[in-house]
Amino acid sequence: MAEGTGRGESLSIWFFVGGLTLLYGIILLPYGAYEWFSGHESSTVLSNLHPTFWWGLLLTLFGGFYTIRFRPEKG
Amino acid sequence: MTALAILLTTQLTHLAPIDVLILALYFVVVLFIGFYVKGSTRTSEEFFLAGREMTAWIAGLSFVSANLGSLELMGWAGAAYQYGMLATHWYWIGAIPAMLFLGIVMMPFYYISKTHSVPGYLQLRFGEGARGVSAVSFAFMTILMSGVNMYSMALVMKVVLGWNISFSIWIGAVTVAIYVMLGGLRSAIINEVLQFVLIWAGAALIPILGLWEAGGWTKLKAQIAVNVGSNDYTHLWTTLGSFKDNPMGVHWTGIVFGLGFVISFGYWTTDFLVVQRVLSANNLRAAKMAPVIGAAFKMAVPFIVIVPGLLALAVLRDPHTHQIIRLVGENQVDAAHPYSYNEVLPLMLIRYCGPGLLGLGITALIAGFMSGMAGNVSAFSTVWTYDLYGAFFNKKASDKHYVSMGRWSTVVGMIASIGTAYLVMHAASIMDYVQALFSFFIAPLFGTVILGMLWKRATKSGGFWGLLAGTVSSIAMWLYTTYGGQQALAHIALSLDAKPMAENLYRAFWSWLICVVVTVSVSLVTRPVPEAQLAGLVYGATTIPDDGASSLWQKPIFWAAIVITIFFLLNIIFF
Repeated sequence: MAEGTGRGESLSIWFFVGGLTLLYGIILLPYGAYEWFSGHESSTVLSNLHPTFWWGLLLTLFGGFYTIRFRPEKG
Repeated sequence: MTALAILLTTQLTHLAPIDVLILALYFVVVLFIGFYVKGSTRTSEEFFLAGREMTAWIAGLSFVSANLGSLELMGWAGAAYQYGMLATHWYWIGAIPAMLFLGIVMMPFYYISKTHSVPGYLQLRFGEGARGVSAVSFAFMTILMSGVNMYSMALVMKVVLGWNISFSIWIGAVTVAIYVMLGGLRSAIINEVLQFVLIWAGAALIPILGLWEAGGWTKLKAQIAVNVGSNDYTHLWTTLGSFKDNPMGVHWTGIVFGLGFVISFGYWTTDFLVVQRVLSANNLRAAKMAPVIGAAFKMAVPFIVIVPGLLALAVLRDPHTHQIIRLVGENQVDAAHPYSYNEVLPLMLIRYCGPGLLGLGITALIAGFMSGMAGNVSAFSTVWTYDLYGAFFNKKASDKHYVSMGRWSTVVGMIASIGTAYLVMHAASIMDYVQALFSFFIAPLFGTVILGMLWKRATKSGGFWGLLAGTVSSIAMWLYTTYGGQQALAHIALSLDAKPMAENLYRAFWSWLICVVVTVSVSLVTRPVPEAQLAGLVYGATTIPDDGASSLWQKPIFWAAIVITIFFLLNIIFF
């Protein structure tokens, strides 16, 4: 039984958590890389630390782990 | 109204396409979850209690998330700016001991009585009268709070992004109504867990980058001391020896007994909004562990709420003049001071988060808003269906009928909340009254429930009259201090130096004490309830079943001991 979503369902609650954070990571990571390497940093404080890139990487790793760990089982 | 007019004409930032994409994805996923779990919510047990099949982690995270509404996020960040670290007491002493007490002491009685709600427990212990009073007050308050929450969020969206207030209210309300109506508590819980993660994903960068900019905690404290001209803002306890030594105007007795004991225990152990999440646990051990897990995460929340408020005192500067921006109360906003305390979190978000991260941060705020609203509306629907409709209007309907009533009451509850939001929009002072109303019930209710659970001699008449006396005395004290001036406040809070915040803490304590004294007195002169009728409801008349823990690591009491140890350490570190 998938955790939290009910008897007979295949998608676990943790799969949703992983899936959405992974999607956000996949959006933020390349955008952060574009900002960093093309010199189009936003004018926010500490943008020189490239927070969008690093936060995007963190979300990708976190979301990727949960998505794979709680992926629906075959059958 | 001038302040409101200024607020409504100021827009702090705008969303880039990438921000809109992030926000849109969030709405798509929460709605999908509602449709996905609809098939698993056919019976009343599934709709109102998520089939009682949630693990301790899910129930625990949902337990914390339902409380982490937008008022909570932005209000306490503002309070941290206004009062400094003292605001942390509402997260630590004002939550942790009570959450652990719920898990270890009270949860077994809620769980094994198989009650569907807190008013349901009162019916089993004290009869229909106590259930009726509790259910009506809870349903009424829940709707009002939901409306206030809704309006607060819409106002922030207006200030930050320039969104139309009606648009924000309706888009949030309709989304929450759809997913709760379809999937009931199950859908609300799944979304709450997701929202909890998103709140952290969107808000954690603010304290991380803020502490980086400030040069670490020690330098932050030093900078705050320079900017505000006082060391009082970065200590938890050292300034509480006297009412006049701290910006909040409170005394440690009020924090310990009023907040730490009565208000906190009242909210975390008897407010059905949060207790309902734990009732969905799949076994007794999970039900005991859920509040312990919730407490561990609750202890971390000040990092994303209190720290940004403190950071603003040190680093929030006008980008053009480089002068420190001074935030003021809502009614003091003018051209020279355009921002209020309540905008501190969005201001800090905009300071550090560019396109993409801004969308994530706004999603976090909206997630907080929606989790709070879903918590209110799902709890309302359960109390209405079980404790009012099913108890007083239609006792013998089919299970399918009650599920249908649950779905429709979700919609009706949401419409009533929207009505409240518009009411607040036209009379902002209603917000203060709603919060005062909430405090009337919660402290006495804790007195009634705790005596009912721990004292066999408490009778039905004792419970009913104690609850009534506590509530009426709380209202009387509030009227007295509202219209009686500083002298009246001094009588309730025991000092001429007390400020309004202290009134709330001491009033809660006195009303709880009155409830307890009346319950005990009336119980002692009325006929005791036969012990056989108390089985499963009261300590001493109940054999608590084994929770199945076979090793130390599985015992909830072990983890509760770890959490309370960390709690004490944190209080010592930030003393």
